[in-house]
Amino acid sequence: MPVVELSYSRLQKLIGKVSKKQITESLPFLGLDIESDNEDLVRVEYSPNRPDYCTDFGIALGLQGLFGIKTGAIKLNIKKTNDYIIRVEPSVTKIRPFVTGIIAKNGRIDDDIIKQLMALQEDLHLGIGRKRKKSSIGIHDLDKMSFPLTYTTTKRTHKFTPLNLEKELTISEILENTDVGRNYGKILGNSDIVPLILDSKKQTISFPPIINSAITTVTTNTRNLFVEVTGISKDDAENMLSVVATILQTAGFVLVSAKILGVKNTSPKFELKKISINSNLINEILGSNLSNSQIILSLKKSRLDAVLKGKNIICSIPSYRFDIFGLMDLVEEVALGYGIQNFEPILSPSQTLGQSNTTSIKIKSLSLIMIGLGYTEALNSSLTSKRVLYDMTNRQSTDMISVLDSKSQEHTILRDSILPELLENLSRNIHASYPQKLFETGIVFSKGNPINEITNFAGISSHQDASFTEIKSILQSTLKIGFNLEIETKTSSHPTFEEGRTASILHHGKIIGIIGEINTKTIENYKIRVPVVGFEIYLSDLIID
Amino acid sequence: MSQVFHEIEKKIITALKNNPQQTPEKLEKSTNLSPDQIRRGIEWLKLKELAIVIESQSITISLGKNGLDSFYNGLPERRLLNLLKNESKKFKVLQNELGSIFGPAMGIARKNNWIDTSEDEIFLKNYPSEIPGEKTLKQIGENKILKNIIDKNDLFAIFKRPDFILENIIKNKEISLTEIAKSIEITTESTNAINVESKVPDVFVARTHPLKDTIDEIREIFVTLGFTEIIGSMTQPSFWNFDALFTPQDHPARELQDTFYLDGFSTKKIGTLDQIKKISESHKKNWRYSWNIDEAKKTVLRTHTTCVTIKHLAENKLDEARVFSLGRVFRNEKVSYKHLVEFNQIEGIVVGKNANLRNLMGIQREFYKRIGITKIKFWPTFFPYTEPSLQTMVYNDKLGKWIELFGMGVFRQEVTKPLGITKPVLAWGGGIERIAMLKYGLDDVREFYNNNLNWLRNTTKCQ
Repeated sequence: MPVVELSYSRLQKLIGKVSKKQITESLPFLGLDIESDNEDLVRVEYSPNRPDYCTDFGIALGLQGLFGIKTGAIKLNIKKTNDYIIRVEPSVTKIRPFVTGIIAKNGRIDDDIIKQLMALQEDLHLGIGRKRKKSSIGIHDLDKMSFPLTYTTTKRTHKFTPLNLEKELTISEILENTDVGRNYGKILGNSDIVPLILDSKKQTISFPPIINSAITTVTTNTRNLFVEVTGISKDDAENMLSVVATILQTAGFVLVSAKILGVKNTSPKFELKKISINSNLINEILGSNLSNSQIILSLKKSRLDAVLKGKNIICSIPSYRFDIFGLMDLVEEVALGYGIQNFEPILSPSQTLGQSNTTSIKIKSLSLIMIGLGYTEALNSSLTSKRVLYDMTNRQSTDMISVLDSKSQEHTILRDSILPELLENLSRNIHASYPQKLFETGIVFSKGNPINEITNFAGISSHQDASFTEIKSILQSTLKIGFNLEIETKTSSHPTFEEGRTASILHHGKIIGIIGEINTKTIENYKIRVPVVGFEIYLSDLIID
Repeated sequence: MSQVFHEIEKKIITALKNNPQQTPEKLEKSTNLSPDQIRRGIEWLKLKELAIVIESQSITISLGKNGLDSFYNGLPERRLLNLLKNESKKFKVLQNELGSIFGPAMGIARKNNWIDTSEDEIFLKNYPSEIPGEKTLKQIGENKILKNIIDKNDLFAIFKRPDFILENIIKNKEISLTEIAKSIEITTESTNAINVESKVPDVFVARTHPLKDTIDEIREIFVTLGFTEIIGSMTQPSFWNFDALFTPQDHPARELQDTFYLDGFSTKKIGTLDQIKKISESHKKNWRYSWNIDEAKKTVLRTHTTCVTIKHLAENKLDEARVFSLGRVFRNEKVSYKHLVEFNQIEGIVVGKNANLRNLMGIQREFYKRIGITKIKFWPTFFPYTEPSLQTMVYNDKLGKWIELFGMGVFRQEVTKPLGITKPVLAWGGGIERIAMLKYGLDDVREFYNNNLNWLRNTTKCQ
């Protein structure tokens, strides 16, 4: 989960009259986990579905609601003008069809705000923007460009000076030689043309979704901003813009509208979404008995608007709260506004009788018998390595099931057998005293569609006098006493076991596993200096359905 | 009841009562025991705190071959000076006279400015009355003496000269009885009694795995709370692991870097046509992207057990149920002291009467109480498939802080509706290793899967 660093003194200025302690105690009830708290600085984790919480402005809005200082939805006050026009050319339709934007004037920009805006931008790119694929954002110094702008396309030979660089590069050079180009260039595919925003003097303003131009770089001297969002979904682009607009207004900017003209594009409306909800559903889900007015107050504390209309509550949701899909989201908003700490847990008697799964019960019985015979239970990973499963035990790896791109070399292959891991366990315990006796029950995997998952049971014994007879006696008695099963052994061979001391295990003529003395080669591979005997059987279809 | 002693112990105690401080060699004579019996007897008595062993060491020095020669005939330089006492002599004469000691004698005499040399003759300049080392040589030669009463400067003058001084280190042991031992009455009658107070070797208890114990304990608790256990596959089509749980196909959590995809495995049958149709529609409407069935068919190692419970619900359309699933889940992470790629999770659901948030909190509180955790609170959180969502915070006294444990919530209607589930469904779950770590006081989660016998054999079972 992403983390944001907040300053108590800044928060206090933004929220109004609250103590540091009140803030600390309330942050978790907005869904913000405190990671560290050190004098004026507090670091909190926020959910990726709430990008507004990656700035202190957004968190201040939330806390104002909880404290009851300011409640209800945040209204965007947008001055309507025709001064800022963006024309959309049809050529963008096939590559990145939508653009939207807004002007924010007369703000004060300090290093803190620049830092927060950059964090917000990154967050939006990663979340709703799906790594800039769905939508991406650019923030510019308004006074460095002249309107109207054109959202158009250009060839890959087009040149301009990108943000943070001092010389002109072609589009191709940007895509090949810069980090952002390499990371996001694939969004544009192999298309000959790429999206571009030009101003009225034909200056390049932005090359979405990759990089802005250097001309419009925002600095602490910037007073007026232009924010543009481009994307492949109009709704997502407007949602993204509304988060930035809300944050900028909270940060003291005056919002002025931009007018979007062109194919399929329209100016953003930032309309409130309306959802009607009944108090019965809320009380049923929460187990509460809240009145309509309590519910309305709670929704307002969660910075939404709500009014009673007949028996239902009509809730108005500002467009930056695109995390709200439907009714259950509103139930949560009521719970948060009311305060999770105000819900007393209750334990109603269960209407059902509980039961363990028969597989769990049988595995437990088997374990207890093995313990009685002096075997200790081991626990190994299902996901292990080719080395352990095949190389060390001389087994064929032709049917192995591997996972893609594992971050751990030791965890790349799904086990088809437990015994190799038990041998690996012995090899890591050669300094512990003998005899060493281990067993494990667990799932093993084999190819099929879907993948076959069956339960296996393996045991291993290692000491100076370990013998075939000993291990056969163990298995025979375990199955007899535990499950009244008789087994037979028939001469067999296996790459892990010693020739002439290996047998298949049969039950009613059907092979259910392998038993024997582990061969010298395997033991030497593992540098074990004591004889080892072992077995492995399938429990599925034998004692487990 | 008096303490029982071995015959060897009895003999040693008796001997020491007669003669309170003895070396092992003396004890051999006074007890008629072998050196090995004495050694063992002393060890036993020491362990029982009945005997005191004082060990000391002393160093003696004696003269080596050259030292002895000098003791009898004088130091080489003294002999040279004596030859020059009356007249100067030629090199060759002196060389013949003194042999091998001529060289060293000349060196020392020259260095001390006792002699002078011309082309082939040597003259006496000074005749010292005492040469460094002479005094010590005499002392040692006449009697073996302890090193620490010698004039150290004088000893140093000859100590480094080859084969002059030999050093012998002598270790001494003196055995005596403690006050308690002195009052012990030794009976000479033989008896069948053995030493029941002595220490015995440990035997290793075969045992279930400590993590399995915790899993069983948790299973037991939920069964008694009315839950029924279900088991599901660890390999799942993305459809049940993600799509059915409202995680869009372009969501970062579905990427290779977080989830294990099986190489080349696409599940043929992922669900009913109706399920596929309704889930894909819900995705298209709510997340606005083109849903792709091939993406849903990709087989993953389940990232949570929720896929098992949701599938169970979709297949059984229950009106009243408490169900849980317990098993391994997988995350493509770097293994560290706090992260494993594979760990155990429990996930439960409640459908029916009283399926509300306060009851969900109540079930959690009861569960924690039964595993011995009473200080808990609930905080809001976010999960893609539940709304409202909460997490339990439990206070750990040892760590002195609040720790996040199980998550919980009510399934979103975007999850339940497409699967034809009409009633609200409570869901909760979390990792088991975390609880087991608190229980066993571990700070490295990997210990559970190391199968280190020393740990397995020595970890207390019930904590």
